[in-house]
Amino acid sequence: MGETVLQMQGITKYFGSMAANHEVDFSLEKGKVHGLLGENGAGKTTLMNILFGLHKPDSGSIILDGKEVAIHSPAEAMSLGIGMVHQHFMLVPTMTVTENVMLGLRLPRYPLINPAIAKRRIEELSTQFALNVDPQALISQLSVGQQQRVEIITALYNQTRILILDEPTAVLTPDEARELFEILRVLKAHGTSVILISHKLDEIISIADDVTILRNGELVCNAKIDIHTTRKEDLSAMMVGRNIDFNFAKQATGEGRTLLSVQHLSAYNDRGVHAVNDLTFTVRKGEILAIAGVDGNGQKELCEVLTGLRKSSSGSVMLDDQDITDAGPAEIIEKQVAYVPEDRQRTGLIMNWDVSQNIVLKSFHKKPYTKGLFLSPKAMTQTAEKAITDFTIKTESSSCIVKNLSGGNQQKVILARELTENPALLIVSHPTRGLDVGAMEYVRSLLISKRNAGVAILLISADLDEVFQTADRILVMYNGRAMGVVEPTVDIQTIGHMMAGVVQGASHE
Amino acid sequence: MNSKYHQARSRLFSLIPSLISILLACLVSSIILLLSGHDPIEAFTSLAVGAFGNSYRFSETLVKAIPITVIALGTSVAFKAQLWNIGGNSQYTIGAIVAVAVSIYLDLPPVFLVVLSFLAALAAGLVFGAFLGAMKARLNVNEVITTLMFDYIIAFLLSWLVYGPMMDPEGFGFPQTALIPKAVMFTKLIANSRLHGGLFVALLLVVFLFLFWKTPQGFSITMVGQSRTVAKASGVKVSKTIIITMALSAGFAAMAGWIDALGIHGRLQDNLAGSLGSVAIVVALLGRLHPIGIAVSALFFSALIVGGNTMQRFVGVPFSLVTIIQGLVIIFVICSNMFEHIWHKKRGGVQHD
Repeated sequence: MGETVLQMQGITKYFGSMAANHEVDFSLEKGKVHGLLGENGAGKTTLMNILFGLHKPDSGSIILDGKEVAIHSPAEAMSLGIGMVHQHFMLVPTMTVTENVMLGLRLPRYPLINPAIAKRRIEELSTQFALNVDPQALISQLSVGQQQRVEIITALYNQTRILILDEPTAVLTPDEARELFEILRVLKAHGTSVILISHKLDEIISIADDVTILRNGELVCNAKIDIHTTRKEDLSAMMVGRNIDFNFAKQATGEGRTLLSVQHLSAYNDRGVHAVNDLTFTVRKGEILAIAGVDGNGQKELCEVLTGLRKSSSGSVMLDDQDITDAGPAEIIEKQVAYVPEDRQRTGLIMNWDVSQNIVLKSFHKKPYTKGLFLSPKAMTQTAEKAITDFTIKTESSSCIVKNLSGGNQQKVILARELTENPALLIVSHPTRGLDVGAMEYVRSLLISKRNAGVAILLISADLDEVFQTADRILVMYNGRAMGVVEPTVDIQTIGHMMAGVVQGASHE
Repeated sequence: MNSKYHQARSRLFSLIPSLISILLACLVSSIILLLSGHDPIEAFTSLAVGAFGNSYRFSETLVKAIPITVIALGTSVAFKAQLWNIGGNSQYTIGAIVAVAVSIYLDLPPVFLVVLSFLAALAAGLVFGAFLGAMKARLNVNEVITTLMFDYIIAFLLSWLVYGPMMDPEGFGFPQTALIPKAVMFTKLIANSRLHGGLFVALLLVVFLFLFWKTPQGFSITMVGQSRTVAKASGVKVSKTIIITMALSAGFAAMAGWIDALGIHGRLQDNLAGSLGSVAIVVALLGRLHPIGIAVSALFFSALIVGGNTMQRFVGVPFSLVTIIQGLVIIFVICSNMFEHIWHKKRGGVQHD
């Protein structure tokens, strides 16, 4: 047994009524890489933000070297020897490596700055951990992998003993990821403990010594990793969990006609890389086609192209035999395409507006919400009040600001808006992410009932439970490509492999 | 149901930050007055008397409030869309230039001239605003920079016009244009005062904007201000809305220029706009971007300006006090927005990650 440097016991953290962490225990040994595994929204980042002093836990204790500590701020965390590298880098591109490392640090002779000291320390760390960073280089000239190493240096600067990495490989190329793992091995050899937040199983198995798995804010397991005996399938089963079994009555809807037909579609992401790559699929009326895959494999960009928010680079999108490739959002909405976006608070709702205004965001310019020259607040309120009853939205009244609603009820407001206009095609992206079990069940059964009523539904989800429960067919997406289309009767391992980009599944197209 | 009561109550509550801001500004400036050896009560009394003391003084306050209200209405349109149009001065000046040019160079019956100068000034404002909006929407040029810089460009354009091509040939070389024919000018409302018919135009514009926010176009502008991402996803054409917003915003300011040209100035002179544009920004913020709130705050600020002159003359308190109060009000309005934000966060902090 190694020496335990850190123990977190019974950590509980609520955001509103949502438990981000519930009674989570976590312990870390010296000189080990500890994987923290879980789906998005499982509470990994929250747990680490608590350790790094960004959030205050509602209850629970943190024990560092056998002493209980209270960490109120990142500065305190750093002085205790805890460093964190966030998923999104916090670097100033126009400044040099040394200047970036110095930001926020209290060097000797503070408040005056002394770049020479910082530069020496960077060079020292750079050689010690084989980081290979030039202290004089401008951040803007560095590759993403190099920038990450600058972040690691910043985190290590103050005799750091515990280094937290939040999904470090999400932004890296495979080669850069390999280099990062080399660095982690060197850090280990020097006795630094590393906490690696990830949802990539391969990584965890290849580098981590221990693993903690979280699901829906709760601890699922603490285990040792043995590269020879630990199986990816076991980890993924624990991560996604298959214990909540909702029973949904899926009626046979027969062969509806094809409503959406996507042919050889490609699109770039914001960084100008092909995120959607030659994708072809169809969605029929009265079926749910699920697009499964690990986040960041082009699902977001696909949604944006289909809803007119992003231009495609090639290929075509046909809706009901009409070409809607690169049509604007207004035109696509006009064609009865409803969209429940992934980021409901930033894309789906105006948080400062009330329920009735949010219900009519897409239809305010039409009757009955606009009569003659003016809007009709009365019609808006009527629709909103009907939606509140129909969708059991928990709110005081339709003039309640949506910011004050819980996540589940915010999602219901969006669903109400999208469904009241009788859509032909419904595109839903991660519809139950961050919702509690009750709301989750509600949303899934709603999707099924709309499917039974003949709506064509494209469901984008990383939650395999959801995919298996609701989908008629599953398309697995990896790296912007379709790995294949399978029936929901297929076993979870096959899908797991396809999501990891390993095997090409049986195609039904 | 209780939503009506809810709305009325929240509307009343929204007045509180502005009132507190004014109160605090008066309090702090009283301290400054005391420190500089003046009696704050005497100063404020003379200020109030100067602004409202008799019908002439009150009419002067109203005269001042007209352009401030109208420019601030325009400013508020842009601010609602989170577009920081701070170029009220240049847009006002353009309206005035066009109005005067039409009135002195075209030989038409007075009634036609009034209508034509109005249409021309409005069109000029709309086109200018649309141009600024297009720069923002299509080229992503920061509107703060463009509107601010055009303030200088238009100010120098006006200088050049009154010293050059538009200078009154019979004006003994004074840097000003010829006078607009008397018949084209607005009628005076009260004998021996400068209060003119433009007051009604300003009130009409207040009503117009009040109603405008109840139209779908007004709804889109507010939506773009709340979130461009949501607006775009909801099918609102964001670029088009930005252009319309800026056009409307500048259109209001240009109408203010037209009103003043035909109401008080009667001709172009150098530095016609003075500090109207910056006062309008404060007024728009203090009025919480609500048309009626703006009209009330405009009255308050023009009272400060008109009363401030009297105060300087009779009590010897420098006019700078008015500038200080203006500055303090803007600071407190911004602070109150911030406090409100924190307060809401504390109360309704549902979720953040």
